[in-house]
Amino acid sequence: MTKRLMTTTAIWALAAGLLAGAATADNIVTMNTVQIFGTIDPAKISDYTDYMAAVNLYDSLVTVDGSGNLIPQIAESWVVSPDATEVTFKLRADATFTDGTPITSADVIYSFERLLRINQGPANLFAGVVESGAVTAVDAQTVSFKLSKTFAPFMATVPALMIVNSALVEANVGADDGQTWMADNVAGSGAYLLDSWDRGSQMVIKRYAGYYGGFLDNPIDEVRWIITNDEATVKALAASGELTMSSQFQSPDTYQALVDMGRFRLESQPTTTAFYLKLNSAVAPTDDIHIRRAIAAATDYTTIREVIFPGEPMTTVLPSGFADFWNADVAAPVFDMALAQAEIDQSAYAGQDIPITLSYVAGTLFEEEISLLMQSNLETLGFVVTQQPEPWNRVTEIAGDLATTPNVNQIFFGPTYPSPDSMFFTQFHSAAAGTWASMEWLRDPNVDALIDQARATGDVAEQARLYKEVQVIMADNMVAVPLLAQTVQHAMDNCLQGFQAVPMQSFDYDMTRYSWTCP
Amino acid sequence: MWSVLVLFGLSVVIFIIARVVPGDPARMALGPRASAEQVADLQASLGLDRPMVEQYALFITGLAQGNLGRSLLTEQSVNDDIRETFPATLELVLTTILIAFVIGVPLGVAAARFKDTWPDTLVRAFAIVAAVMPTFFIALLLQVLAGYVLQILPTTGRLPTGTDFQANITGLLVIDGLLKARFDVVFEALRHLLLPALALSLATMGQIARITRASMIDVSRQDYIEAARAFGVPTRVRLFKYQLRPAFVPPLTIMGLEFASLIGGAFVVELIFSWPGMAAYGIRAITQKDLNAIMGVVMISGVFFVLVNLVIDVLVGIVDPRIRIRGSRA
Repeated sequence: MTKRLMTTTAIWALAAGLLAGAATADNIVTMNTVQIFGTIDPAKISDYTDYMAAVNLYDSLVTVDGSGNLIPQIAESWVVSPDATEVTFKLRADATFTDGTPITSADVIYSFERLLRINQGPANLFAGVVESGAVTAVDAQTVSFKLSKTFAPFMATVPALMIVNSALVEANVGADDGQTWMADNVAGSGAYLLDSWDRGSQMVIKRYAGYYGGFLDNPIDEVRWIITNDEATVKALAASGELTMSSQFQSPDTYQALVDMGRFRLESQPTTTAFYLKLNSAVAPTDDIHIRRAIAAATDYTTIREVIFPGEPMTTVLPSGFADFWNADVAAPVFDMALAQAEIDQSAYAGQDIPITLSYVAGTLFEEEISLLMQSNLETLGFVVTQQPEPWNRVTEIAGDLATTPNVNQIFFGPTYPSPDSMFFTQFHSAAAGTWASMEWLRDPNVDALIDQARATGDVAEQARLYKEVQVIMADNMVAVPLLAQTVQHAMDNCLQGFQAVPMQSFDYDMTRYSWTCP
Repeated sequence: MWSVLVLFGLSVVIFIIARVVPGDPARMALGPRASAEQVADLQASLGLDRPMVEQYALFITGLAQGNLGRSLLTEQSVNDDIRETFPATLELVLTTILIAFVIGVPLGVAAARFKDTWPDTLVRAFAIVAAVMPTFFIALLLQVLAGYVLQILPTTGRLPTGTDFQANITGLLVIDGLLKARFDVVFEALRHLLLPALALSLATMGQIARITRASMIDVSRQDYIEAARAFGVPTRVRLFKYQLRPAFVPPLTIMGLEFASLIGGAFVVELIFSWPGMAAYGIRAITQKDLNAIMGVVMISGVFFVLVNLVIDVLVGIVDPRIRIRGSRA
């Protein structure tokens, strides 16, 4: 009798416990990400995953849509001065932080000054452009940014300045500008609130119903990011019904397996992230323009794009996603081994063995395949190939010295802000030399001058003319062989709608743009 | 005293190794798009621009005060990171050891009991297969089978996402769930533990089975066992009362070593099952060259290794008093 009573009690206790943990929100999106969230402090966010959380927890003065256009967020309007050295933002009167405090000019100034003081994350976008003290309040709802010089891409960088609740941060400022507190807490005005964050495994955010910006019909109530880069785990999560959206870094097999389940569709969109072969123009033999052109002609673009790594054709160093600035008149490099041989014959290395190093990120299977494909083509032309796989940590180091930069380097580069300047200045301007993004060691005064002119004019048509001219020069000198424009792919639950690739960090995962279309 | 020297030596070796491997921690933390000025600023604030001896002195001073510094990876103190991640790894390893022992020891006893017959062959074959199969392969196999094909067990994390529960007593979900009478949490924690612990336990299980078998056979040749047999002591009593206890010392000793190595070796399983443990944290710290986190994880693993082996020494003395007596005489 006693035994039965104990058993019954245990079963009821278990059932009660199970029910206690069963409360769920309405529309839940569960997505896997392949790396952990490093920080949620908007003054320190730097990578794709950091931004994914930040764009949901914080708002900026303006944000970006799928075409790269700036759209209002905290600011309802803005005015650029005729000489493009001052931008004045008018804040929404109804904009509030998630604790209900109104967002004022003081918060914008505080957020900017804090960003400069900490000098991490997006701070470098404003370095030398807007100095400390140059953001001032016109009134409580109007704030002015005075630029040190005309800087055409300035507006495109503004979405990276996320606004923090100054009173809340000051209340927890400590001795490090609130960095310790902001590492675990949110002081934002975003549409979502941080619910839980287990750094090694998952983050959960929940919809803030009082969000001043409003939501679409059938909004996403809760977002769960599960951190895993394991393909079997992703499939298991999908099979169990838990996953609603895969990361964009799954294997083709996994995408197919998810689509075959019937619940998922494959969302595939072109991006403005470019994939290049960067040729070191400062060391032999790639210091010879004919050798560089030969390498470009020995590259099997179609096989790379259609068999090894999915992507869109890319004709110039600028992806065609930058429609107004892309030069349609520049002819794409073509795979032509006879042309490659003809170029070698014109080079200083004609008739001899040509030693060359092909570098790629170690452990990246598709890059290894591309490198082996290049090797097989180049060896038929008389190149003596050395494969140089390097871990990414090391790539960033060897890129700092032209003597240690390999001849051929496979590099992805996408815009940090939605402007062609992000593509041209960071990669091809001499002032940006010595980084992984500029392994060409171009240092061409003509290119520098064109990029500087484009930065200094507010005339978009003139910018387009200048950038198109840069593309012509780059097609001629062939220091960066454009392989493809990356395609972003997600396996997505059929009920989930709203994904659109955005040419800036992870702004495509602003969950206010998504909705759940099933009952 | 020796333990302190071992830990000091470990700190020196890891400190040097962590700094000579390629990669600038400041650059890694700030991301590839940070400017040179930003990187230099962070290097200065981290003290990375100072001589290595000075850096070590700073580290060891902090360590003596119980301060492991700040993690560049998580933006919080390494102490907090370890406090958050260590219980997850400990719970996984404890469950692993439990499974390995509960299954491995009986398998070894059975193999010894039926020496050179088919059960013995079967156990030995299992032990070899379990030992040679890579853990990642077993983990993936279990995940695909139980999580994807059969869909009977969860494949990620320690609890279902969104579960409202704070493991703030011991950090071990099963224990905290029991203490707080949250049986739903206990049930889910056990479900989540099963696959990763099973994957991690197979190699240890095989090893324990083999060692138990060998040890049992060795003890069975002792005169007092022969005498027990001659006196007609029932097989079960002879096997479990007189033979297993002395034979238990080698597997117990091995357990100490396994326990500590599992703390470090759990990273594959933790990464595959998205287990928020210290091993996975350590691997991320290494790939991001998060120096304080690397040092913290290694030092905590070292301390744990020393402690576990001290405990095992005591346990061995309890199981076999002859060892304790010999030790005290020496």
